[in-house]
Amino acid sequence: MSLTLDQGVPEGLAWRAGRVLDVASAWLSAIAALVLAGLMVLVVSGFVLRYAFSSSIMGAEAAGIWLNVAIVGLGAPLALNSTLAMRLDVFQRLLPRHVRLGADMVAEAMTLLSGLVIAHGSYTVTRIVGGTNAGLGLPEWIPFALFALGGGLVVLFTVLKLIADGRIATLVVALALAAFAFWLAGSGIRIETGLPKSLILGLIVVVGLVVAAPLPHAFIAGAFLVVPFGSPLPEPAILNSAVSGIMKFLLLAIPFFLLTGTLLARSGVATRLIEFAGALVGHMRGGLAQTTLLTNVFFSGASGSSIASAAFGAATFQPELERHGYPPAKAGAIIAATSVLDNVIPPSIAFLILAMATNLSVGQLLVGGLWGGLVMAVALFVVIRLTCRDAPVSAPAAGGTRWRLALRAVPAFGLGLIVVFGIRLGLVTTTEAAAMAALYTFGLSVWFGVGARGLVAAFRQSATEAAAIALLIASAAPFAFLLAVDDISGLIGDLAAFFGQGPVAALLVSAIILFLVGLVLDIGAAILLFGPLLLPIATAAGIDPIVFGVIMVVNLMIGGLTPPFGVLVFVVGGVTGVPTAHLFRAVLPHVAGLTVALFAISLFALVWAAIA
Amino acid sequence: QTTLTVASLMGPDRPESKVWERIGEIVDDKLPGAFSFNVVPNAALGAEKEVAQAAKLGSVQASLSTISLMSSWVPEAQIFDLPFLFRDSEHLIAATKSKVGDDIKAKLADQGFIVPAFIDYGARQLLTKTPISAPGPLKGMNMRVIQSPLHMELWSNYGANPTGIPIVEAYNALQTGVVDCMDLTKSAYVSFKLYEVVPYMTETAHIRAAGVVYFAQPFWATLNDEQKQVLGEAAVEGAAYFNELVRADEDTAMATAAEAGAEVIQPTDMEAWVAGAKPVWTSMADTVGGMDRIDAIRELS
Ligand code: NA
Ligand code: NA
Repeated sequence: MSLTLDQGVPEGLAWRAGRVLDVASAWLSAIAALVLAGLMVLVVSGFVLRYAFSSSIMGAEAAGIWLNVAIVGLGAPLALNSTLAMRLDVFQRLLPRHVRLGADMVAEAMTLLSGLVIAHGSYTVTRIVGGTNAGLGLPEWIPFALFALGGGLVVLFTVLKLIADGRIATLVVALALAAFAFWLAGSGIRIETGLPKSLILGLIVVVGLVVAAPLPHAFIAGAFLVVPFGSPLPEPAILNSAVSGIMKFLLLAIPFFLLTGTLLARSGVATRLIEFAGALVGHMRGGLAQTTLLTNVFFSGASGSSIASAAFGAATFQPELERHGYPPAKAGAIIAATSVLDNVIPPSIAFLILAMATNLSVGQLLVGGLWGGLVMAVALFVVIRLTCRDAPVSAPAAGGTRWRLALRAVPAFGLGLIVVFGIRLGLVTTTEAAAMAALYTFGLSVWFGVGARGLVAAFRQSATEAAAIALLIASAAPFAFLLAVDDISGLIGDLAAFFGQGPVAALLVSAIILFLVGLVLDIGAAILLFGPLLLPIATAAGIDPIVFGVIMVVNLMIGGLTPPFGVLVFVVGGVTGVPTAHLFRAVLPHVAGLTVALFAISLFALVWAAIA
Repeated sequence: QTTLTVASLMGPDRPESKVWERIGEIVDDKLPGAFSFNVVPNAALGAEKEVAQAAKLGSVQASLSTISLMSSWVPEAQIFDLPFLFRDSEHLIAATKSKVGDDIKAKLADQGFIVPAFIDYGARQLLTKTPISAPGPLKGMNMRVIQSPLHMELWSNYGANPTGIPIVEAYNALQTGVVDCMDLTKSAYVSFKLYEVVPYMTETAHIRAAGVVYFAQPFWATLNDEQKQVLGEAAVEGAAYFNELVRADEDTAMATAAEAGAEVIQPTDMEAWVAGAKPVWTSMADTVGGMDRIDAIRELS
């Protein structure tokens, strides 16, 4: 019935809804871009004041955190229709047509419910929470109000999009489902199951994944739907947990890392990296693939986001690789696999999130990541060597040419040095280093003639992507809360004990868990949920926490290449138009190579544990 | 049986968690089987502020908190954080049991935190790379401080440049010389292995890190009078036990530090130290309930 209904939308209404959506999106992303620019100025001036004037702005840290929440609120609705919506569409595409329509309704209902809960729950928090921020002298409810705004906008955008797409029946059913669920949880009806609440939440999230609901909204809707099952987290507490989850100064580095990556590509500095990499390895067998790899190693030293790197590679290298006779899927696979390095070689968003979740030192993690990343690069080098038999792209470059090209790439290397040494030496906080890197690439972009339009576009894109990542972090926090209340780490500890004592058992158990988790969860969410659970088990078994952190990130990054949820493959597929199923197949040799690298790093951890 | 979700910021073997074990035992003695305390350690339920907000919103039923955090709701509580106001732990405890303490308890209750007892996390001490006994050498030094107006003002008064660095990065920042000194309690000094980079501890005890044991109002409202009394008394006993544990922990910690070569220095020129603190009292006086109140506490025996 709904199939015919879904086609019967007045065209004028759909068109108007589409227009409203476009205009609203443009405005929201412009405001979010402006807030991001303000955030960059704020963080950089904090650094300048400290070193030039030995003073600081009272409350600058809190102000930055609140601005970041504002970016999330503004960007949350925009993220819904971006490549970072985090929809897992693998199962959903396998469903027969009419079942798929039902799945769509459930998915949209979850998004609507989540938006409703975010708006209503955050609003409730603003009324109860009280307190004054010491640094700013402003009430503590402000960030919750910003988040509530985001929830309202998610509802609005979902409704408008469904009307614009002419999916009226889906809209009506989804609204009814969401309204019913919202009423049910608030009604005081309680269902006793005896199951751990985190398990029920996990099952709801799995349903969300199967019907291709956006992962963050599946998490929020799930946390809310556990309330009738006796969840210890009432609605406002869900939102407190979520918003507190992103109110960390360290997380401000994420939008800056994204901005740096985007501006690096736009300024043309990334092209110089490609030329230099080509001069070094272009004459080898599979020269262009090796150039892609080496460029990624260089790019990784400046950018902290594998997603940015995958998007950049897909736009830059895919056409070149195809022109040189690489089958599209193979070209895309090389790009997706090499983009893994960006989140391992410092700077890295993955390590930032890990440091935040476990209180490990970012500085030490970054050094560990450098070594881990280099081992992975070697593995990928070997895989490319074995699988690519195309002719070299160029004759060996003369020494003079190499030096000239190296010199031309210096602006990009300078960036990596600022970031890594700044953080490692403790001269700057990670967030400040990231902000300065963003400012530096902003300067480069202006210097190399990127126009105002291009700059604004870079800020808009980065703000939206940052909002998508932060929303995921926020939405995973209530889940982490329930896992802690249910003492899942104790359970995992027992599981490890079942496999035996010592570092081998600990590594084995965590590898299995991370592999399973990496199948379905995004890297960020997986680190947040399982980092704090696995780390104590590994350290108790004598494994160095930093080395284990590296192992965990490498493990999960490989998960970014594997079905069903492989975010890097999604991004490459989204940009190049190559079907993800083909990419998943083509990337298998690289996954094998990276797994060998992971094995080598784990072996190192064991030897280290044995001698330390 | 009612299960309380209790948040602890530290590991299961630390005083912050063990205090709840003790409180749980006392409650179970008096009201067998009525309550079970699910103590979630290692800040798995969030940092201090998040936990306190969670208490107001109904997902956490009890926890500990520092006074600095509580002053976000009740600014008057900062009187217990004033530098060089308390002679020792006993003086602080006496002050919390005085009329001032009762007043602050009432104000905290209005804000949703039922506080049967105050606790003492131990005094903050000055940690430096070179031996310092009087405040003079602090002039021009970069110092890692807590981002709170009270702390920033205190160290500015001695001429130091206060810098906000997250506690997990403090070791790194001290090692590389971004900052030259910081202040911390003895237990934390050792748990972060800071003696490796700031081997000199001046026993200034400038600020007694005071705190509270609290129950969440939404939970408290569900209890009958007998239950309230039992939980309240258990918390008072628990607080005394916590203070004992902290003392013992500080002794063990300092033995470890001494073994690693750390040196404890007694402060000299106390007048200069206190002179730096007095302007803080003046600027905080209005917030904490007037200079009279500060004087009253100072004269408490
Ligand atoms: Na990187
Ligand atoms: Na995967």
